Amino acid sequence: MAQRTLTKRINRVGWLFVIPATVFIFVLNFYPMVSAFLLSLQSGRGNNLKYAGLRNYARLFQDEMFLTSVGNVITYLVIQVPIMLMAALVLATLLNDPKLKGKSIFRTFIFLPCATSLVSSAMIFKSFFSIDGLANNALMALGILKSPLSWLTHPVWAKFVIILTITWRWTGYNTVFYLAGLQMIDRSIYESARIDGASSSRQFFMITIPLLKPVILLTTIMSTNGTLQLFDEVRNITNGGPGIATLSISQYIYNLSFIYNPQFGYAAAVSYAILVMVAILSFIQIKAGGKR
Amino acid sequence: MKRIKGMDILKYVFLIIVCFCSAFPFYFMIVGATNSSVDIIKGRLFFGTNLWANIRKLTQTVHLGRAFWNSLRNATVNTLASLFVCSLAGYGFQIYREKGKDTLMSLLLLSMMVPFATIMVPLFRMFSTLRLLDTTAGFILPTISTAFLIFFFRQSSESFPIETVQAARVDGLGEFGIFFRIYVPIMAPTFAAAAIVTFMSAWNNYLWPLIIMQSQDSQTMPLLITGLTAGYTTDYGILMLSVTITTLPTMILFFTQQKRFVEGVLGSVK
Amino acid sequence: MKRTLYIALTLLLVMTAVFGAGKGEVKPVTTDPDAPVTLTVWCWDPTFNIYAMNEAAKVYAGIRPNVTINVVETPWDDLQQKLITSLSAKATGNLPDIILMQDNAIQKNVMTYPDAFVSLTGKMDLSQFAQFKVDVGTVDGKNYGVPFDNGATGTFIRRDIIARAGLSVGDFTDITWERFIELGKIVKQKTGIPLISTVANEPDFMMIMLQSAGTWMFDSQGKAYIKDNPVLKEALRLTKEMVESGVCLLVPDWNAYIATLNNGTVASTINGCWISGSIQAEKSQSGNWAVTNTPKLGKIPSSVNYSSQGGSGWMVMANSKHPDVAIDFLAQTFGGSIELYETILPTSGAIATWLPAASSSVYSMPIEFFGGQPIYEDLVSYAGKVPNVKYGVFNYEARDAVARALSDVMQGGDIDTALATAQKSVEFLMME
Repeated sequence: MAQRTLTKRINRVGWLFVIPATVFIFVLNFYPMVSAFLLSLQSGRGNNLKYAGLRNYARLFQDEMFLTSVGNVITYLVIQVPIMLMAALVLATLLNDPKLKGKSIFRTFIFLPCATSLVSSAMIFKSFFSIDGLANNALMALGILKSPLSWLTHPVWAKFVIILTITWRWTGYNTVFYLAGLQMIDRSIYESARIDGASSSRQFFMITIPLLKPVILLTTIMSTNGTLQLFDEVRNITNGGPGIATLSISQYIYNLSFIYNPQFGYAAAVSYAILVMVAILSFIQIKAGGKR
Repeated sequence: MKRIKGMDILKYVFLIIVCFCSAFPFYFMIVGATNSSVDIIKGRLFFGTNLWANIRKLTQTVHLGRAFWNSLRNATVNTLASLFVCSLAGYGFQIYREKGKDTLMSLLLLSMMVPFATIMVPLFRMFSTLRLLDTTAGFILPTISTAFLIFFFRQSSESFPIETVQAARVDGLGEFGIFFRIYVPIMAPTFAAAAIVTFMSAWNNYLWPLIIMQSQDSQTMPLLITGLTAGYTTDYGILMLSVTITTLPTMILFFTQQKRFVEGVLGSVK
Repeated sequence: MKRTLYIALTLLLVMTAVFGAGKGEVKPVTTDPDAPVTLTVWCWDPTFNIYAMNEAAKVYAGIRPNVTINVVETPWDDLQQKLITSLSAKATGNLPDIILMQDNAIQKNVMTYPDAFVSLTGKMDLSQFAQFKVDVGTVDGKNYGVPFDNGATGTFIRRDIIARAGLSVGDFTDITWERFIELGKIVKQKTGIPLISTVANEPDFMMIMLQSAGTWMFDSQGKAYIKDNPVLKEALRLTKEMVESGVCLLVPDWNAYIATLNNGTVASTINGCWISGSIQAEKSQSGNWAVTNTPKLGKIPSSVNYSSQGGSGWMVMANSKHPDVAIDFLAQTFGGSIELYETILPTSGAIATWLPAASSSVYSMPIEFFGGQPIYEDLVSYAGKVPNVKYGVFNYEARDAVARALSDVMQGGDIDTALATAQKSVEFLMME
């Protein structure tokens, strides 16, 4: 990108572009966030809130449920996000091939999972992994399993099912972004590489990935954010179980606000713990991906 | 030649497997809409004859048309507003990039990092005071401007050639003119992708509409669906039917927009 | 062209905001007793609660024609979220007059938001309701809930399946859980069918067992009573044995559980009497079911053959502009109309906790689905014998903790350790 200096006038107009969206976010997001932060400095049940300083934050470190949920979510993150994004990249590249037949059909199918209602998908996944479900039947027929595995009552396998569900559900979504991004890459670059004798995989690694970097950074940050704030899938498939083996942080916040005795101050503190984690990870990702 | 063919077959096989896995729950959903509740619970996988009965029961049990219209209106207005506001901002953050704006972008990203449940109560209080409860504006205002969409447009704009902007300036076009006349057409794939995901997100939005809705007249499809699962006995036939209907707008939008992912820029402007 | 698009969009936005303007006008409160009054009710389930409420509205229209009941369908999860959000935001203008509240949550909500609900003590006679239901809605000696949905438990059995094992319904009456497991093994051995099913990771059986012994997860001072609770220990031990012996089948979620009943995958179920609606959905099984009372804990002397699971009650909100009308409405219908209960029973299976209703002949009707047994009469008689238990403020925290303990134990953990972890977990959440 050629370096250019902005004249004062152009820079001012540039701010005009940015201001409407910014004002919305300040009023409708930051103002409540500050409110919530102030809330996190108070403790008590319902509306009996008293100032408590940083006590809620100190409490976090003794909170077994919180710490377990953090561990769960980080497990999901570390395994699921790289696999999903790689798969989405591969799919987008395959689907971008001008010679491929049936592209629109493939594209539509791949997008289906995130459009399919979670109610329906959850029912399928739960049934698939139940004791007499297809997963067990298939694995036993192949000889991999001797007796049915109770996936959803097992602390490790339940997490596996969650990871599988998330990956299944959101790969197509990310493929859409990569497909849009691939459109901005001039086909002639690939042509000249091919003429120079570069194989498909070389083209993938040397051309596609570097040029898609900005969008890859976007999806990495979004997926990290999404996984750390995971809620719907866990609630609908395992509801945090068995025990708290699949509990997510957002689910814990939900429980603290609406199921258990409402402790909005503490719940706000847990939320800010999420913010700190996502912010740190995003910062690292931006720094790592920002070099041009 | 043989080697290439092998790769091709592999690609198609891979894609077909992916399609099958992706589509199976969708298939289950559609099949479910044609079966009776008892059959669905038994795990029936083939089309049944209950579709008409399900349609009748669904329309008798709930106000389907009203909820559908509410969702459609909210999601459409939301999407148009979001695309407008956020594309301008994303473009602004990238094309007029400088340190101040970069800092602001990073700051705005923070707004996505807190679960919605956290800001819900203060937001509700705000909207209640402003008498915006149960209004269309109330439904969509919090989700018009999202850091995600702004960031998406900014990142996508990185591949928008700055030389084009400069050339247009030389030609006498104003800054907004450049945006509307040159940027928007060229970035059609980006807008298409953004429209699809924003629409889907607005359509499926649950928690905020739940809180801000005060009368049945404003009910949206996701809320209607939860209502169907909330009883002691759930009729899975009408549930699957309503869930299928809910999926349709997003899929239709996807189908009409996805061509843009391929059309791209034929004879691109350089 | 683009500029006109820009202008059009802006106009659209503005128009939407303007014409969708809020409906937040406040109506003046009148004191004319015959002035039209609208009471808004939030509840869920069109075939059960909403149906009952609409029928009650019809009954009341005959008594007070100037009152309109406006029922807004609100699923329980949603209701909790809306209620708590409004109360926390102190923006109660849009809350309804009457809500339906799960028994498990009444104590929590009343104690967290004491000014949000209207006390019924002295304004409504609750003496004719099953005592255990009145108790769950009582906080600090004041009543807040009008009992509605009867959660008295029963053992619902497929008499045809157990007959194949040489057993009859009498064999399952007035028994202990130990005996139930023994019988289950016999049924499994002779027919290959598990006796019962339950949703994995849910503590339902243990809650039933606890209440049958008149205890709960909190002691009379409100302290967590999990770690050294002999009833809980027994409950965990028995549940574990039921699952491991194959007598109890674990399923992933609610609809899979209902499927086991409708598909004949299991021979019985033990749950609140409201389960009869789901059971009767499978018409082909008509005539094969029977109901008897609940097993008791053999090793716990205070345990009886009666318990409760689920259930809900109506509450009047303090923000209501017509609380007295609301109370009168509830008193005259759910607390005073035999006709109402007669209407809703056959269609929805909603069983009264208001005991005079049970004396109606509708309740003693033989039910063909259950082989001619007058199950409603039986279930109401069970309701009269359910031990009173205070669910307490931290009910949900404790339920989750105990569910977790069950999961630990099922994975091979030691019972005492699991309960100790559960206790710690609840105590942490009880901290302010």
